[in-house]
Amino acid sequence: MIEVSDLHRWFGAVHAVRGAGFSIPAGQAVGLLGPNGAGKTTTLRMLTGILRPQRGSIRIADVDALTHAVQARRHFGYLPESAPSYPEMAVRSFLRYRAGVQGVAARRRKNRVQAVLAECQLTDVARRRIGQLSKGYRQRVALASALLHDPKVLILDEPTNGLDPTQIREARSLIGDLAQNRTVLVSSHILPEIERTCQRVIIIGAGRVLADGTPDELCRSADTGGCIAEIKGHLAAIEFAIKQALPGCSLETAPLEEGWWRCAIRPAPQSEPEATNPQELIGIALASAKCPIRLLRPETTGLEEVFVRVLDEAARNPGGEA
Amino acid sequence: MTTTLTIARRELSSLFRTPVGWIVLALFLFLTGTVFVFGALAPGQPATLRPLFGTTTLMLVLVAPAISMRLFSEEFRTGTYELLASSPVTSAQIVLGKYLGALAFLILMLLPTLIHAGTLALVSDPSPDPGPIAAGYLSLFLFGCLCLSLGTLASTLTDSQTLAFLGTMLTLICWVLITNIAPQHVGPEIGSKLAAASYSIRIDDFARGTIDTRHVVFFLSISAGLLTFATSALEARRWR
Repeated sequence: MIEVSDLHRWFGAVHAVRGAGFSIPAGQAVGLLGPNGAGKTTTLRMLTGILRPQRGSIRIADVDALTHAVQARRHFGYLPESAPSYPEMAVRSFLRYRAGVQGVAARRRKNRVQAVLAECQLTDVARRRIGQLSKGYRQRVALASALLHDPKVLILDEPTNGLDPTQIREARSLIGDLAQNRTVLVSSHILPEIERTCQRVIIIGAGRVLADGTPDELCRSADTGGCIAEIKGHLAAIEFAIKQALPGCSLETAPLEEGWWRCAIRPAPQSEPEATNPQELIGIALASAKCPIRLLRPETTGLEEVFVRVLDEAARNPGGEA
Repeated sequence: MTTTLTIARRELSSLFRTPVGWIVLALFLFLTGTVFVFGALAPGQPATLRPLFGTTTLMLVLVAPAISMRLFSEEFRTGTYELLASSPVTSAQIVLGKYLGALAFLILMLLPTLIHAGTLALVSDPSPDPGPIAAGYLSLFLFGCLCLSLGTLASTLTDSQTLAFLGTMLTLICWVLITNIAPQHVGPEIGSKLAAASYSIRIDDFARGTIDTRHVVFFLSISAGLLTFATSALEARRWR
């Protein structure tokens, strides 16, 4: 449904997007995740035709968005970052106007406006001026305006930006509902938002796609095979036992209460795969050293950890290929 | 065309939803009314609206930039331009829609002044010649087209309404200075070329009751050219 390849955009000397490329099939909800200034908004602006890329190609619903821009724009609805609207207009008037601009046939406009008012739970405020509404409602109005022509693709730029926790929850639920029967591309720098609304995550940093996959895939790919343990005893004895069990492993320790230590143990990356589970080896070694263990579990890598690691790696290797 | 008219309708209605539109309208009608009462209706004066047209032309140099200044600058400033730029409309449709909305406001502003023509016809003996009145209104319309197209272009170039207003007004003033005063100080060859680009000389011809198609083409073609530049300026924003 969305095909982007080798997208480049410069702003003067700043190379904001450097060869970004991804493909999103129909019906998938994808999160574009990245820190502020990573190039998310620039990428979305190029997708929506607000900006032209200096290099690369964009296809939306099998239409070349660069050579047939107007035709391509019929296939998506876009919610810009600031959810702009005209504050002096009433909600219904604004939506009628937007329906006209989106090319909704005059005979269908009234029904479409009514439908999106209901879908975005705006019916009660339909007659009120947009300028009088709360930020959460204004966000919904902007979202409703993106749905008027019933697009196959929905592109949302930071849809919960500036909302309070209750409004964020409502917005997430609404986006989740909308994603049921549409292709959705959501940009955000807020991890939980992406984790809860998207089946797939594209991590973008310094204008490049750094990682792409489902949250599970990304977490598995970043799995170190390490484990977390809470152990009681002398630190030197604990360290000795662990190093004996897993030579070359990395060990991070942090003191807990009453002589307990929290240890993060990661096997040496180059070492041959152990025939025995590292947790078993550690358990045996610590039992021999008479160090009690109250917790021993595999180290799970969350999306947040993946995000940080991917960005760190990109920072260490700034010229690296995506 | 339907999309263009949708944009035009919103633009026109937005001028009535904000104080700027009402203030401009009220000031314009007050000033034209005053000029009519003390200029055209004064005892012993010939039955003509020429003083009214002269003053209204001057007022348009201020009023038209005030109407056009927000057309795009406001959209850029508030971010609503992103909605238009990502909609299935061309830049030409956006420019034309906004321009037609502003032009409709100008026409609505000029319409009440027809009362002055009617009043003059009622109280004057002999009745005023309708030719110069029709030509006068045509000149106001054409000059309004030119001013608004220049204002539309200025508005596509900046996020600041103030800059768009000042840019349009100063360009109109400089245009008069360069094409009316400068020719007296340069050689006859350059002077005649500069004078040919004058809008005020053409407006004077209209005021005398002469409708010259060359003048009509002059105003319309320059307006179309400025709107084409405005469209290009919008397209250029996609590359910035």
